[in-house]
Amino acid sequence: MNRPVLFIGTAIAAALIAVLFVGLGNDPQQIRSPMIGRPAPAFALKEVGTGQTLDLQALRDTPTIINFWATWCMPCYQEHPVLIDNARLFGSKVQFVGVVFNDDEASIQKFLRERGSAFPTLLDQQGKTAIAYGVGGVPETFFLDRQGIIVAKFSGPMTTDVLQANLEKAIR
Amino acid sequence: MILLLIALLQVKAPDAAQFVGAPHGVALQGAALERRTMEVASLLRCPVCQGMSVADSPSTVALDMKAQVRELLARGYTEEQILSYFERSYGEFVLLKPKFRGVNALVWVLPLLALLIGVVLVSMKLRKLELVDGD
Repeated sequence: MNRPVLFIGTAIAAALIAVLFVGLGNDPQQIRSPMIGRPAPAFALKEVGTGQTLDLQALRDTPTIINFWATWCMPCYQEHPVLIDNARLFGSKVQFVGVVFNDDEASIQKFLRERGSAFPTLLDQQGKTAIAYGVGGVPETFFLDRQGIIVAKFSGPMTTDVLQANLEKAIR
Repeated sequence: MILLLIALLQVKAPDAAQFVGAPHGVALQGAALERRTMEVASLLRCPVCQGMSVADSPSTVALDMKAQVRELLARGYTEEQILSYFERSYGEFVLLKPKFRGVNALVWVLPLLALLIGVVLVSMKLRKLELVDGD
């Protein structure tokens, strides 16, 4: 094999290995969302159970956690106790909000009756709110600071450590 | 009942107007609306599928996205505005056809570059062989 071919081949292989190496170092659940650093899309959605409307604007000045979930999502069952425990722990400083999409109210109420509830759960009709936030699958969680700016997003079921680490960014 | 109605009237999902402004196009309806919905949805990637477009995917997220595309076209939003709206939320990942800019440009340039290098290498090799044969 002549030198130029060997050189080009080595350069291409090195570039591919470098890209692979960088990619493997990323946590697929810590998604770099284009929404991070932007104001959270405004919404006013109906609360499951009470039928009242909760307007996100009313939560200004309070760090907020918006958790998108559904009763048909198995990882959401795993995450639910983590959310409840932390909502009880940080309830005075942080507002937790659940947004359920592609689901029906009866199933949500049954889920909350059986598994408990510690924060408002809102119904996202036709998934419009989820789309505006760039939600692909559930659960996905957005952390908003006091100004309503999205400071972090986590995809997948959160552990307490993950939740609290992201929460720190919102409280800062 | 009245309280329920008031509550429902207050319900407000995020609207495209918040992000891409007022519609720039003509409101579509009927067969034209359905045709354009499929055309625009075929340019969007289903976020939970493997390389499938929103037009082709049966997933609930894709169906919601397609319904939103239809609604926006019916309100007069243009293809460019609709793609911008989805790109704003999901990032450039949601566009099935990457834009010719930044690192994405490599997707278009690299195959041409590889082809060019191949042609040069093959012609160099052929020339060398011709020289050897000539001797």
